[in-house]
Amino acid sequence: MSRIIIIHSYSWEDKDIFQAILMSSGCPPQSPAVAKSEVTVEGECPLLAATFAYWDNILGPRVRHIWTPKGDQSMFLSDGEVTFLANHTLNGEILRSAECGAVDVKFFVLAEKGVIIVSLIFDGELKGDKNTCALSVILPQTELAFYLPLHTICVERLKHVIRKGRIWMQKGYNIISVLSLEIVPIMELLALMKSHSVPEDIDIKDTVLNDDDIGDSCHEDFLHKAISSHLQTCGCSIVVGSNPEKVNKIVRTLCLFLTPAERKCSRLCKADSSFKYDTGLFVQGLLKDSTGSFVLPFRQVLYSPYPTTHIDVDINTVKQMPPCHEHTYNQRRYMHSELSALWKTDSEEDIPPETVIHTDETFTPDLNIFQDVMHKDTLVKSFIDEVFMLKPGLSLRSTYLAQFLLLLHRKALTLLKYIEDETQKGKKPFRSLRNLKTDLDLTVEGDLNIVMAFAEKLRAGLHSFVFGKPFYTSLQERDVLMSF
Amino acid sequence: MIGSPDVVAFTKEDEYGETSPDPWALPKEFSVPLHPPCDSNPWSKTSYAKFTKDFILISEFSEQVGPQPLLTIPDDPKVCGTFDLNYFSLRIMSVDYQASFVGHPPGTGYPRLSFVEDSRVVLGDSKEGAFAYVHHLTLYDLEARGFVRPFCMAYVSADERKIMLQFQELSLRFSQASECLKSGNRRAFAKELQRKLRDLEYTHSVLQREEGLQREAAPQSMYSAHAVEKANELANVEKSIYEHRDLLRQISSYHQRPRRDPNAVTCHKCITECVSECEKLLEKYAKLAKPFTYSDKGEKGEDGQGQIDHEGGEEVDAEDDEGVKRRPSYTPQLIKAKSAKCFDKRLKTLQELCDDTFYNATVELLKDTERCFRGDLSYLHTRRLDRALRKKLRVTNFLFEEDLRDDDEDEGGTLRPFCAVNHAVDNFTLTLNPPPIVLGPEPLELDALEPPDPLDPASETSHTHESELGLVESHLESSPSDQTLETQESSEETKGSFSSDKSGLGQAEGQQNLAMTSEGPDPDSDLTPDPDQNTDLERESSSEDIETTAGEDEGDQTPVSLLEVMSELEGREDECEVVTNGACEVESDLLVPLDTACCMAQEGFLYEASAPETVPRFGQNSNVQHDQTLVVNQEPQALLPLQDDYTVGSSCPESPAAGLELPVGLLGDAVSRTSVEDGSDCTMSASTGSDRAASPLGYGGVVTLRQRKRAGQGALRFVRQYPFAMQALWCLLSGRTLVVLGADEGRVRRLVAALALFVPGPGKCGERVQAWLSCPFTLTDLQRWKLIGLQRVASPVGSSMLYSLSRYSRYISILDADQKTLRCPPYHGQLLANIADHRTYIRRGSTYFLHLQSTLCHLAAKAFLFTFTHHLHLPVSFTEGPEVVEGRRRCFLQEQLGLGEEDSRILLYLSQLITQQYLQPATGSGAAAPCFSFNYTTSVFYKI
Repeated sequence: MSRIIIIHSYSWEDKDIFQAILMSSGCPPQSPAVAKSEVTVEGECPLLAATFAYWDNILGPRVRHIWTPKGDQSMFLSDGEVTFLANHTLNGEILRSAECGAVDVKFFVLAEKGVIIVSLIFDGELKGDKNTCALSVILPQTELAFYLPLHTICVERLKHVIRKGRIWMQKGYNIISVLSLEIVPIMELLALMKSHSVPEDIDIKDTVLNDDDIGDSCHEDFLHKAISSHLQTCGCSIVVGSNPEKVNKIVRTLCLFLTPAERKCSRLCKADSSFKYDTGLFVQGLLKDSTGSFVLPFRQVLYSPYPTTHIDVDINTVKQMPPCHEHTYNQRRYMHSELSALWKTDSEEDIPPETVIHTDETFTPDLNIFQDVMHKDTLVKSFIDEVFMLKPGLSLRSTYLAQFLLLLHRKALTLLKYIEDETQKGKKPFRSLRNLKTDLDLTVEGDLNIVMAFAEKLRAGLHSFVFGKPFYTSLQERDVLMSF
Repeated sequence: MIGSPDVVAFTKEDEYGETSPDPWALPKEFSVPLHPPCDSNPWSKTSYAKFTKDFILISEFSEQVGPQPLLTIPDDPKVCGTFDLNYFSLRIMSVDYQASFVGHPPGTGYPRLSFVEDSRVVLGDSKEGAFAYVHHLTLYDLEARGFVRPFCMAYVSADERKIMLQFQELSLRFSQASECLKSGNRRAFAKELQRKLRDLEYTHSVLQREEGLQREAAPQSMYSAHAVEKANELANVEKSIYEHRDLLRQISSYHQRPRRDPNAVTCHKCITECVSECEKLLEKYAKLAKPFTYSDKGEKGEDGQGQIDHEGGEEVDAEDDEGVKRRPSYTPQLIKAKSAKCFDKRLKTLQELCDDTFYNATVELLKDTERCFRGDLSYLHTRRLDRALRKKLRVTNFLFEEDLRDDDEDEGGTLRPFCAVNHAVDNFTLTLNPPPIVLGPEPLELDALEPPDPLDPASETSHTHESELGLVESHLESSPSDQTLETQESSEETKGSFSSDKSGLGQAEGQQNLAMTSEGPDPDSDLTPDPDQNTDLERESSSEDIETTAGEDEGDQTPVSLLEVMSELEGREDECEVVTNGACEVESDLLVPLDTACCMAQEGFLYEASAPETVPRFGQNSNVQHDQTLVVNQEPQALLPLQDDYTVGSSCPESPAAGLELPVGLLGDAVSRTSVEDGSDCTMSASTGSDRAASPLGYGGVVTLRQRKRAGQGALRFVRQYPFAMQALWCLLSGRTLVVLGADEGRVRRLVAALALFVPGPGKCGERVQAWLSCPFTLTDLQRWKLIGLQRVASPVGSSMLYSLSRYSRYISILDADQKTLRCPPYHGQLLANIADHRTYIRRGSTYFLHLQSTLCHLAAKAFLFTFTHHLHLPVSFTEGPEVVEGRRRCFLQEQLGLGEEDSRILLYLSQLITQQYLQPATGSGAAAPCFSFNYTTSVFYKI
């Protein structure tokens, strides 16, 4: 039986009384109707529940909806406990003074309850009132190490669905249907990552770099192109093919060039069934269907935080998306377009499809986003040439790889520092790209791209800062020309 | 006529436009910005916070005034700037999750302490641009409401990503700090309970006596209201005694409860101590089956108070150890019937709530944490990755990288493996599930958790078994820094005393053995004459035969003494190889499991590699026969054991001044007896120059990353100022000793410190670099030091120095800091063009250092490749002779790596060092003695 206690005013001393009341009742006052959706997820889903709560001006924190995965779970939380935890995420948010539209992230590790909670706090309009809302995801504390590398991916995806949800709330529609669009895929993502993520430590023996000769499993230039493009796109790649072993071998090979945390955000392909593309992962292996094709969702690929390299191991082709600054710009244009389409929707029933390219006449995205790798490099080329000279089976190649990665990381930091010095930490525009190339031995375009990609991961927005202005100018010129 | 105001109305298109916005246009608050501010400045994301740098904030949820900040680390108001700490404390404490019910739960007679686990929260205030990792904890206070005092420690940063990406490291650090505070608090709480119990017992005795008196005074079976009141009071006190005893029992059972927090950090030593002390206390008070022994005792004497005090004091004395006697005994006090629980009481400070030892240790730990996480995320992140990768590069790290372990200490890059009160590392475990690190790979931490040297006195003495419950005066265990200092001093004293002996022994050994052998000490070494006498002798001999420099007339006039040495070495070469192989077998297990066959096969290459290159020249330029070994493996007296233990010349002396002092007798004698023809002395003078601090080298410390970064500025200045910098760097990188000559010690030291960055395998303490030398050097020194700062003096000593310079000029390069000239062989390669371009636009030394690091890393990688590429060093078939293999090697350098002859020499030298290091990794110092090689190339004189 639920009880509702309303206390109109209290002093700091009464905080303990509150706690005592809450604890003695076992759970907080539960609102009469908390809707719940059970989501069927294949495999073991580490997520315990997701909740949507809001701050009711009379009742205080109140849970509106709970999503739970259906099936076996290592830990069970009753609805009361879920509600208690969800309410807790809004504690203190009465003091919130964020700008309108801001989405703040709170992350709790509650050892007492054995859970971690990720909460996204935002403002939204419910029944004509501005309310503080929280979309939360609850996981067992034992999954902390598993979850942390994936935190950014989950948060970014949830942030965008919240943007859409806020529009829906503004229109007086039910936000739950919009939130479900991303909550369910995130449950699926976490379940798949639990079973198919790339291990933190990769044995070089499971990769192409252990082959006796460069031509053993890949044609030389294919491997060079694949690794080079993979590095130029910030370590973000999709590997498609028909043979799962071949795909996974390339996935592992590419993951050798990632940090351990990034590897945890990478996924192998599954032999017996095909995964769908997931936004935000670094490397993912994907199997073609029986017809030998794989449908890549344009929107999801564009929403990835970094541009992506597309590697087809069946036909040994490597394609890549435009560099970071272009990718970010396209991504924002697309997001803007999607939100605008939602804003223009007349009916709650018409949640626009995720592909909005036909709904907004003002925006025509370039669908041909994967292009040939244009820029050759010397860094990867010489590495590939040289590493196969070392005897396989020993740790020689691993050591040489570590040396190569050390060089790249150091070059990236040097480049970042160089730009920092030149621009007084961004206070002045950067005008000395030519000097940078000469001074840091990055005159080959491919080399510069690789090092810039590493630096972009260290300092988000670096590409836009360095290359953005000419790019935007060229876009403006293009628009002007097209208007004639 | 239309006036201007009328026109203006039509020109304001924007405002006009705003009056009728498109109803279908997406409002700004629902949109995503196409050009967010971070695009125009990626550094701006963290720039709008009101504080200047990250800090740690400790706040309390006070029951009197609500959330309040208590302490910031660093304790500098400038750090927080105009940031409102009160408001932020309110914000972070309002998310407190302490489900700590304290009170009388149903069915229990006594108040219960609830042991709640800490909670961790990351939250932010996007408007203020402040984000925080907040660690909530609860401390116990007998006088607080429900006996609990909620606190939190927060790491406040303007960069949200920095906190999330380092969540586990932060969590681990703050868990350590929290455990430390809580350990101290439990002890303090138990101590407080003890006092309270004694007060209660005393009060009970007083009340009992009064009640007895009243009962006696009153008529039988008649109780006055006063007597009833006293009886009630007595009953209350008795109840209170039981309650407090139960609290004591509860706090004693703290460690018996199962921990729910898999990320909690526990020091077993702390637990054991606390448990034992609590048990003692518990036992003491449990003994009192009748809890009112005080009354019995009190009744014995006429002056109850005095008696109790006295006996109370004795009781403690009797039960506790000797340490108690130093402690002022506690005087029990009468407790009033109505204890104060109101707002006028003063709450204990955090320091009072915790034992001083623990409080101070926590503050130290937090300071260390602040220091450890200081700086930009990109640098912290790269540093972690850098370290993790370098751990895989043990084979080449010695070339240009600073020592990893020292980097830990210097930069605080990893977590301290000690509990905050400095209990030894073997007690430290992560409960249940050690959290992996997100950014840095786990080995990074695992390595840091290596147990300390069991012989380390610090680890043995760090723990004392004194009570920490307050019954005994808690002795502060020495802080980490104190310990380090003491240990260092003592160990260095020991090292110093041994090493000076050893250096003598080493010298003596040097007369009989080749470089890589290590035999028993030479009994003759005891005959070493008095150093002063020896100095004189050597100074006399130093004026012997003056030779021309190689540049002036080459080859023909090779010094006799050197040829003798060479022929002597030639005869012993086989012996050397045998020993080397042996060393490889013993030590290779310690290394990365590389293929030793490759290196083993390289021995020939190692000692003969330059022969094909130098032989033709040698043949052309000198009359020395071809079959003569052209690479001098080792000067007889410069033996490997000597290299390691030789403190006189090394840069690791026990004191700065001592580091530059040479026990002239030992070395000088050895030299004079070995090769009189060398004719040089080895007297070094301790410098008293005022500019000593300019160089980190030569004063005994391990060369740290910070020092190297600082030297980067000097290196950049050198490259900019000297057009022939590239030649100088080539000399260093190809193993040719560079002598920096100058009159001004400061300038020479600075130059040496800058150039030391380019010395391959400089050694952990820069053993291959002699920052300042005031005396002539010998051939031995040239083998030992690859970079020498030499004083230019006008005295007779100066002339002998000039003589030695001129005599050895064919083996060395001379950079004259005063004249700004350089004499060295010419260099026409391209490999160094990128780090020695005087037109570089790199502005800062730190940036240049980073650039240098990556270039040297690239060189090391190439050298590694060259060293361990099997087919370059092994014959493919039996028919292949060494010439074919050598040809393949040269082809590889020229065609595969695209290196010219001079550039190849760099790689050959580095490869030689790698091979040597690989085969003899256990030399300790990390600076393997390189083979002493030279070739006869005409030196060129460069000047600005």
